[in-house]
Amino acid sequence: MDVAIQEVVRPASIAEALATLARADARPIAGGTDLMVQLRDGRRHAACLVDLGRLGLDGVRRDGDAVEIGAATTMDAIAGDAAVRDWFPALASAAGQVGGWPIQCRATLGGNLANGSPAADTAGPLLIAGAGVIVVAAGGRRRVPIAEFFLGPGRTALRQGELIAAVRLPLAETAAGRRVVERFVKVGPRREQVISVASLAGRAVVGRDGALEQVRIALGSVAPTPVRATAAERALSGRRPDAVARRDAARAVQGDIAPIDDVRAPARYRRIVVAVLLDRFLREVERG
Amino acid sequence: MVDRVTVTLTLNGERRRFEVPPGRRLLDLLRDDAGLTGTKEGCGAGECGACTVLLDGVPVTSCLVLAASADGREVVTVEGLGSGALHPFQEALVARGGVQCGFCTPGVAVTGAAALARGVTGAERTRLLAGNLCRCTGYAKILAALDDAAEAVDAPA
Repeated sequence: MDVAIQEVVRPASIAEALATLARADARPIAGGTDLMVQLRDGRRHAACLVDLGRLGLDGVRRDGDAVEIGAATTMDAIAGDAAVRDWFPALASAAGQVGGWPIQCRATLGGNLANGSPAADTAGPLLIAGAGVIVVAAGGRRRVPIAEFFLGPGRTALRQGELIAAVRLPLAETAAGRRVVERFVKVGPRREQVISVASLAGRAVVGRDGALEQVRIALGSVAPTPVRATAAERALSGRRPDAVARRDAARAVQGDIAPIDDVRAPARYRRIVVAVLLDRFLREVERG
Repeated sequence: MVDRVTVTLTLNGERRRFEVPPGRRLLDLLRDDAGLTGTKEGCGAGECGACTVLLDGVPVTSCLVLAASADGREVVTVEGLGSGALHPFQEALVARGGVQCGFCTPGVAVTGAAALARGVTGAERTRLLAGNLCRCTGYAKILAALDDAAEAVDAPA
């Protein structure tokens, strides 16, 4: 069945797209893998869809001390990109776990963020990378830190008339003798085609003595937005991820999350799963 | 009555032009406007893979693609998968009994053909097929057919 829109605009330039998006009844569409379902179910509405497929917003490129991923880059392209796999393995892994392959060939990074889901699989890896979201509007461009991008379920820092152009991930050089462990894991009823019950993105830099010089943890589906687990990070800072530290972190992380009961899982299960995912990640960090 | 939009596709190798409502899904354009009913609608929400077609050579769930977004692009449906004959994966599905009720088969055939074209093996090949649900076969015969087809593609008789 057709989705209930009145008009579709297919701009050839970003300026043209932004001019149309200034209208209150217009909404951008890229891969459409979330939006088409929402339009069908009446969860989101738009009289006019602005197709972003011809703006050249796709592709991964190295830009100085950062990697910039165009908003229209597909999950499939991100999962297979050599630079992303080398520098941001958690992001490559997450992109390869969004939906199934036919979804990954269509779904875009910008769409995964703009949809504003607490379960957005790419959000955690971007949080631990300290990424910035490059947002453009008719009046210019601004950079929103990923930690300030998600405001609540389905709500983001994007304003009417704004568009995500790219996501910028700063490159972190690793000092000699340090070991970096970076992972993304999600839990659901099966591996593919599921919305996460809980997800964890972790990045640890381990010094020669086995202590954590840096540890960043982000969690999905356990709060109104994807969140950094700052209490758990503080509990682990400077320590070896041994059994005692892992137990402290599992306690601390409960203060980082505010899970709810929903169709996918009860809150109590999510609390247990987060503790388990964190413990498994830290065991892996300890093992090396 | 809303204005119609023009969608021009290279559809199974042939240049085709359609005038459709702006909210038309690629799936409905293929089935209702182009008469290609091989592509099936299962869930309509991108979860089952029955409606998978190739868009510029990669598999997509056509129930989630706005037809207007596909304008100017190349679409291959199950009808156009083999050139004049069955694709080696379709042959293997028949030989292996990888088809039972047949509803998922067009999507499975399209995704499998794309996986073979990518040249991946083993677990990665299985991962690429995981977005196509089949309630009959238990997948073993589908994956066996994919292995057979990979050999046929690698070493043509």
